[in-house]
Amino acid sequence: DATQGTANDCQPCPCPAGATCAIVPSTREVVCTNCPTGTTGKRCELCDDGHFGDPLGQNGPVRSCHKCVCSGNIDLNAVGNCNRETGECLKCVNDTEGFFCDRCKEGFYGNALSTAPGKRCKSCSCSPLGTVDRQTGCSQVTGQCECLPNVAERDCSACQPGHFNLQSGNGCERCNCNPIGSTN
Amino acid sequence: PRPDVHPVSLGTHLVFAQSGKIEHVPLDGYKLKTEEARPLLHIPDRVVIAVAYDCVERMVYWTDITGPAISKASLSGGDIIPLVTKELRSPEGIAVDHVARLLFWTDSMRDTIEVSKLDGSQRLVLFDTDLVNPRPIVTNPAYGRIYWADWDRDGPKIEMSHMDGTERSVLVDKDLGLPNGLTLDADNQQLCWADAGTQRVECMDLHRRLRRNIVEGVQYPFALVSFGKNLYYTDWKREAVVGVDRHTQTETEEFLPQKRSRLYGITTTPTQCPQVFNYCSN
Repeated sequence: DATQGTANDCQPCPCPAGATCAIVPSTREVVCTNCPTGTTGKRCELCDDGHFGDPLGQNGPVRSCHKCVCSGNIDLNAVGNCNRETGECLKCVNDTEGFFCDRCKEGFYGNALSTAPGKRCKSCSCSPLGTVDRQTGCSQVTGQCECLPNVAERDCSACQPGHFNLQSGNGCERCNCNPIGSTN
Repeated sequence: PRPDVHPVSLGTHLVFAQSGKIEHVPLDGYKLKTEEARPLLHIPDRVVIAVAYDCVERMVYWTDITGPAISKASLSGGDIIPLVTKELRSPEGIAVDHVARLLFWTDSMRDTIEVSKLDGSQRLVLFDTDLVNPRPIVTNPAYGRIYWADWDRDGPKIEMSHMDGTERSVLVDKDLGLPNGLTLDADNQQLCWADAGTQRVECMDLHRRLRRNIVEGVQYPFALVSFGKNLYYTDWKREAVVGVDRHTQTETEEFLPQKRSRLYGITTTPTQCPQVFNYCSN
């Protein structure tokens, strides 16, 4: 307040170099109005959207603003891809989830971090007839669905050799063929 | 008066969002008075995405994905009034129907198109199916219609429906990439969009359904607004507001704000409301 007539009427902005500021009269709060590139917030303490860090070191050491780190599993046309302070990924794509979009989401398996061509995360597609409780989830690494007794294959879609009647929905039954009259 | 809320002089302005603030630039005819660019609002802890304007009450409406929230403030200064703060995840598009006094928005995480009255009451989800990344939305008050675009990488499209959610239909689904921006020229019933995938700005005559390229080779458009014969879009790569003349199909102007960062939503503040007959007033 320049009208008080004291030497302290005008004080420097509590903002990083070069930033201007203003006072909100109702709260007497000082707000930086022109934060350095990549930063924003009342005190330039936040990173721009799509970036994360702690540019003023308010919660520990200073971490300058970096682009969201989401294992290549975000879409750069999206907004709000990660938490601006923690970096937690908020908009994972390619059927991934996790802090860094580093896991396949429920119902998918594979390597969310793969650089090989093709889909990183594939659908479990468990065969409902051969899977325990008709679950849709599978092992995130191998893709193995949880099969009913005597049911085989990753997706529980076939009976083990010597078994039949997957359609029952209770697992497969032994064939019970007489070894004397059977060819194998 | 609050120094973080700057009253705006009469006349038409461009209003756009940049990080935690909403800026305005007066228009002198089609020329931007860039030396008179001022912040309208400081919301330093929020990321403002879309802005819309109600010409009747001279209010600016916006969405922010940090709250997330939908809020409004008067163009002539005053407090920020939150309107919707619950059941929002990533509100990225907003549109006002100044005649029926309705607010429409898109949410790209709830994957919805929603509507409420201008005070946020009587909220209703219009659509929650076949939406992947809905972003821009505009109203056509004279016809009671809304238009929105979805930048789904596997099937981008521009759709429309009546404001009550009936008669939903796809308007455009070919030769689209990332249709981030959408605007309506109500006088000529032209729907225009800015596409960061095809890097084009295009317009379509809504009656004859004829498409026309306006400019090609644009860099990374995010939001678009129509004003007379001009279109203005914000660009993420150029960190600028770019003016385009629809008739000559050329870029006319570029405005680089003092602060270098991405620009988001953009709208205009016409001094007079377009005259539209309100069927609901009977």
